[in-house]
Formats: sequence, structure tokens, C-alpha cells
Amino acid sequence: MKDLFFFDGNCRIGDNLEKMPGTKELLAEMDRYGVDKALVRHNAIAPGGAAYTNENITELLKEDVEKRLVGVWSILPDTCGEQQEPDQFFKEMKENRIGAITLSPVQHHYIPRRNVIGKIMDAARERKVPVLLNAFAEKWYELYDFMEQFPDNICIYTEACGKWGYDRYIQPLLDSYSNFYFGTAGYWVQDGISDLVKKYGAERFIYGSNFPRYNHGNGMLQIKHAGLKDEEIRKIAGENLNSLLNGADL
Amino acid sequence: MKRSIWEKENSLAAAMWNNGKLDFPVYDMHGHMGPHNAICFKHCSAEDMVAHLKRAGIKHLVFSHHANLLGFMKNESVVEICKEHPDFLRMYAGIIPQQQETIKSDLAMFDKWSPYAVGLKILPIYHNHKLEDKEYEYALSFANERKIPVLIHTWGNAPECGIYETICKYPDAKFFLAHCCFGAWDYAARCVNESNGNVWLELTAVPGERGIIEKLVEMVGSEKILFGTDLPWFDEYQAIGGVLSADITEDDIKNILYRNIEKLLGTDW
Repeated sequence: MKDLFFFDGNCRIGDNLEKMPGTKELLAEMDRYGVDKALVRHNAIAPGGAAYTNENITELLKEDVEKRLVGVWSILPDTCGEQQEPDQFFKEMKENRIGAITLSPVQHHYIPRRNVIGKIMDAARERKVPVLLNAFAEKWYELYDFMEQFPDNICIYTEACGKWGYDRYIQPLLDSYSNFYFGTAGYWVQDGISDLVKKYGAERFIYGSNFPRYNHGNGMLQIKHAGLKDEEIRKIAGENLNSLLNGADL
Repeated sequence: MKRSIWEKENSLAAAMWNNGKLDFPVYDMHGHMGPHNAICFKHCSAEDMVAHLKRAGIKHLVFSHHANLLGFMKNESVVEICKEHPDFLRMYAGIIPQQQETIKSDLAMFDKWSPYAVGLKILPIYHNHKLEDKEYEYALSFANERKIPVLIHTWGNAPECGIYETICKYPDAKFFLAHCCFGAWDYAARCVNESNGNVWLELTAVPGERGIIEKLVEMVGSEKILFGTDLPWFDEYQAIGGVLSADITEDDIKNILYRNIEKLLGTDW
């Protein structure tokens, strides 16, 4: 088992209005299933807002003494003076073991276009900072528009917005944008992963659990026995995400 | 890092991880076949699905063809598909409440479709009906007399669909509640625990949901839970992985994956 390195690209921790799993609970479950590392964002980003949840996820990461977790911060529009200047923002990300950004335009009431978030998104593109697209739950027109606005950013689709395969939505994005990566959480269609890998190559796919909604194990076994070559399995399980995060110039 | 479930010696999880199969037959009690309007299926032919079943160590898939449930294919045509893969495929005869004459003529043929037809499939919501509607009475009486399985599509709105009232009315039919009344877990448990012992929860769409199988096992016991996937909607490895990932005993896992259905239908069907 441990010859396979798993880096989960889709985990959430931290309380929202209810008590939710925190750092220790996530780490315990990663141990149970053999997940080495995880990219984690806050459970309450949408209702809680960027300010509170960026601060709280930073605090939660401090409980991870082995440094197995890498955090995600939310961005806000540049135009209203709420978003730090990119250099300072990325400097603080690095200092706090934050490896990627995300955005919630619908819930945070802004339009994710170039004249709103262009400055921070362009800086993220230049520095190759991954952008987790967890903000467009089934708002496919908006996601398509966002990708047209920012076609060269590294984007990882992590939404598990339903378990009933959505290839008709996702494959055009994989076709159109070479920096668009697809997280496997909730993509459970029979033999679907092997089909996608045949068409796009294993480099475009990233293992994700969607913890705490789903457990880690089901998707691990699905990838392990998807009928892929060993090197393809290794890439999806952890190498792809590790490379993307290591490639960011923070 | 501690040893994971996949590394525990002689465990079911380790066997599945290493071999891609378990050393006992797994029965998938909820499948489909053929294209569907809502999704892109690349592997929904009988041949592709059987190849997947073989690879994952599934003994039988009991399915209802999408075209049949949508009114485009007769049950007798589904029997012919089963005959081409007699070792793997079994079927539920689709019951469409708008087609009363077909229900009667199909059920008159049911015995001749043995061993392929093992029960009936009913989708009240998809067919704009409640389970307690009179349009289902003939089929449910048939199932009750013969004590055969009836797989009923359920979801979180099950309490509004007359499920509990109906299963009490037909105490000898074997009701499999597809998707375990997804989300309405207490209601699903009530259907099992307050019935005549003739109700099982079928797991499609549940494996992978963190903590839910554990909850269902606690509420109704693993003896009352059956494995299913909606194949080709869900991958067998994902679904078996979801069961193996649950924090339940290996006896519970075996009950779910094969023992319960073998108690109901035997080993030779």
C-alpha cells in the first residue's frame, strides 16, 4: 500500500454553524485510509466569508505538527480594497503553509470577471498558484465564463456537485483549457476514470475525497482498480497535485 | 502514519486492494443498462458491463434496462439480453403503472423468464405515482403471493410516497428499498424495523458517504442491508470501496455483499 502516495486535493475542515471535523479528525481519517497529505479549505467559506475563514484555516493548520496538510485561502475582489496586494498575499500564504486559492463569487456577491478579480488572478497565473474551483456549484454557465476570462490560470475543479457523472459539462473544459485539472471526488461512473485518462492523459486528474461529506477510501479503491498503468495511478493519487503545488512560486 | 485499512493482514480491505476481488461472490442487487438522457455512458452495453462485473468479482447483477423503465423496451427483450450472459445477468421486470395491460401480460410470463427474472422494479416518482396508488396493486399482489423481491426506487421524499403503508399491506413480498430512502434514514429504519421482516435497504448511492453505512448498520443491523450500485451509474470498485471503508465488522461487510441475498434467494439462481 505505502508504495502509493496519496495527496487528497479536496478536503474541508473547521466548524460552520455546526460542529464539523477539525484538523485532528481529518488526520485520523487520513491515517485510517493511508492518505499521506491533503489540501484543505475551510468548511464555512461560503457563509463565513474570506476574512474569517482564511484566518481560521491558518490556525487549524498549526495543529498539524507533521505538516501533512496544505491550506487554501479565499480571494476577494481587488476593486473594493479588501484584497491584499498580490506580493504581500502570496508572501503570507507561503509563511502560513497555504498552497492554493479559491473563490466564492456567488456567495460573496461579486462577478468573477477580469475587471473585478483580474489583478489577483493574473498574479496567480504568473506565479502558477493553483485555483480551486469549488464556487460554481452547478452554475455551469458561470464556470464556463470564468474559464474564458482566465484561460491560462491553473485551475482544479474540486466540486462534487452530484455523483451522477457530468462528463457533458466537464469534458469541454478539459478540451479547451490545458491548465484545467479535474478532481475525482464524486466522479463515480463505471470505468469513467479510465476513459478520461485515455482521452486526456493521467496528468489532468487529481485524487480528491470531498471529506467530510465522503470518506477517503471509496475513491482510493476506484483509482487503484481503474485499469490504469501503475505510473498513471501514481500521478492521479498524488504526484500531479504535489507537482502543481511545488511548482507555485509563492 | 498508522497502518491503513488496506494494509491490515488477512482483511477484506487488503484482499480487495491487492487482488481487485474478494474471495466470495458479490451480488449487485441494483443495476441498469443502456443510454440515459441525463448522463454520458461510454460502457452501458451488456458486453461492457459484464466485463466490468467479471473484473470486480461480481457474481450476479440484477438490473432493469433504462429503455424498459422509460417505456421503449419490453421486458421480454430484457430477458433475451440476460440469456446472452446467463452467468452474470438477472433482471427485475419493469412495472410501468401507465401500462396496465402490459403489466398483466408480462407477469403472466414471469415464470417462463426463470431464472433470469428474479423480481419487479418500481419507480413511483419517475412514473408520477405513489407506491400506494391502485395502479401498482396488481403487481404488488403478484409479488406478495409469490414472495418475490420488489426493488422500489426511494429517496429522501419517501415518507410522502406511501412506502411504509404499502409494505405493511403486502407482508409477504420482499421489498428492497433502493437508495435506503436517501437522507430519510430514520424513515428507512422504520420501514425495516416496523415491517413484517420483509424489508431490506439497498445501498445504491450510499457507499462513500462518510458514516452513513455505519449509521444504517446500527439502526437496522447489517442483516437487513443489500449491496447495489446503479451500474453503470456507479463503478463497482467505488461502491465496494465504500462498503469496505465503513467502520463496521467484517461480518457486517459479508452480510451486505453476499450473505443476506444468499439467505433470501439461495446460492443457485
